[in-house]
Amino acid sequence: MAAPEVLESDLSSAMALLKNLQEQVMAVTAHIQALTKKVQARAYPTEKGLSLLEVKDQLLLMYLMDLSHLILNKASGGSLQRHAAVLRLVEMRTVLEKLRPLDQKLKYQIDKLIKTAVTGSLSENDPLRFKPHPSSMMSKLSSEDEEDEAEKGQSGASGKKSANGAVKKYVPPRLVPVHYDETEAEREKKRLERAKKRALSSSVIRELKEQYSDAPEEIRDARHPHVTRQSQEDQHRINYEESMMVRLSVSKREKGRRKRASVMSSQLHSLTHFSDISALTGGTPHLDEDQNPVKKRKKVPKKGRKKKGFRRRR
Amino acid sequence: MNNTMTIWTRKFMTNRLLQWKQMATDVLHPGKATVPKTEVPGKLVKMYKTTPHVTFVFGFRTHFGGGKTTGFGVIYDSLDYAKKNEPKHRLSRYGLYQKKNTSRK
Repeated sequence: MAAPEVLESDLSSAMALLKNLQEQVMAVTAHIQALTKKVQARAYPTEKGLSLLEVKDQLLLMYLMDLSHLILNKASGGSLQRHAAVLRLVEMRTVLEKLRPLDQKLKYQIDKLIKTAVTGSLSENDPLRFKPHPSSMMSKLSSEDEEDEAEKGQSGASGKKSANGAVKKYVPPRLVPVHYDETEAEREKKRLERAKKRALSSSVIRELKEQYSDAPEEIRDARHPHVTRQSQEDQHRINYEESMMVRLSVSKREKGRRKRASVMSSQLHSLTHFSDISALTGGTPHLDEDQNPVKKRKKVPKKGRKKKGFRRRR
Repeated sequence: MNNTMTIWTRKFMTNRLLQWKQMATDVLHPGKATVPKTEVPGKLVKMYKTTPHVTFVFGFRTHFGGGKTTGFGVIYDSLDYAKKNEPKHRLSRYGLYQKKNTSRK
């Protein structure tokens, strides 16, 4: 028969496993006995701990008890079918599985608590470190007040607590400041990118896109096909005035800008003047519709900037 | 030229905090000069069926080219609220307040 052969080949591995098992069981027993002694000596108070962890502890313990009962049963040849302990085990297993997402949510908090418990203080980049500490300022203020009160003999602001023992200097949190390092080249690059974006949405490029794209032509109910900055500002102003029920005053500069915009739009000037797409073609930039000249960076002399009697015109 | 004056009201809102109903009034007057402020409350009274002493209008601006003027209109719940909430210069336009001309010195 095959049975004795199977038994023989399995015998050696079975012996090895049993020996392993024995060693492990001895180690576990020693560990458990040490833990039990500590628990009996009340070295682990858990009243102020997380209740979720307590529940998990109790569940795991019950699970272990039931499991060991079943192992004992099986080892002495009993059957596991319809044993009450199996049902209990299944129930506990389900509960443990359901607790797992809760565990995930609490993971950050638990890790932080453990770290704090181990190191004794908050870690370097813990955001809680940056909260204000009015207690460090309070003692300074109240000590000053007490001096004043002693000198002038008036009853100062009530509600001030008495100064704490040591006067602690207020140390602001050390955040890493970022150095402003934008070079001329970076500024140029940014300007170029902005000009490119503007050029991409200009009428010339849009018409080219419409010509060559396969998408269907969209006809939108456009308020004004030629939206300029001035017209957008005017619309914004009108909306504000009507919602706030006030009339805003128009400054001289604003009047000038409006006049220029109306003059530009009333002439046939804008018929042949398209927006600047030199950013895409790489040519030289020319003036756009708003007539804002290309900004050149000039070195402004620091000295003598303010003339006497100079009034800033708004 | 037709001599009609039409009034449209936009952005109508009942403001419980100031006890008024506020709106933006559009006055259309093609072919005529800007309608004076004193005529507009009459039309608003007819539209909203209130009394003339709680309707106030202000802030009229005529659009370029003429024909359309936009302003604001306000209808109070009662004259008491009007006297309480309305600024004095607007009340004096309707004769409900008289400014004291005290001498400066």
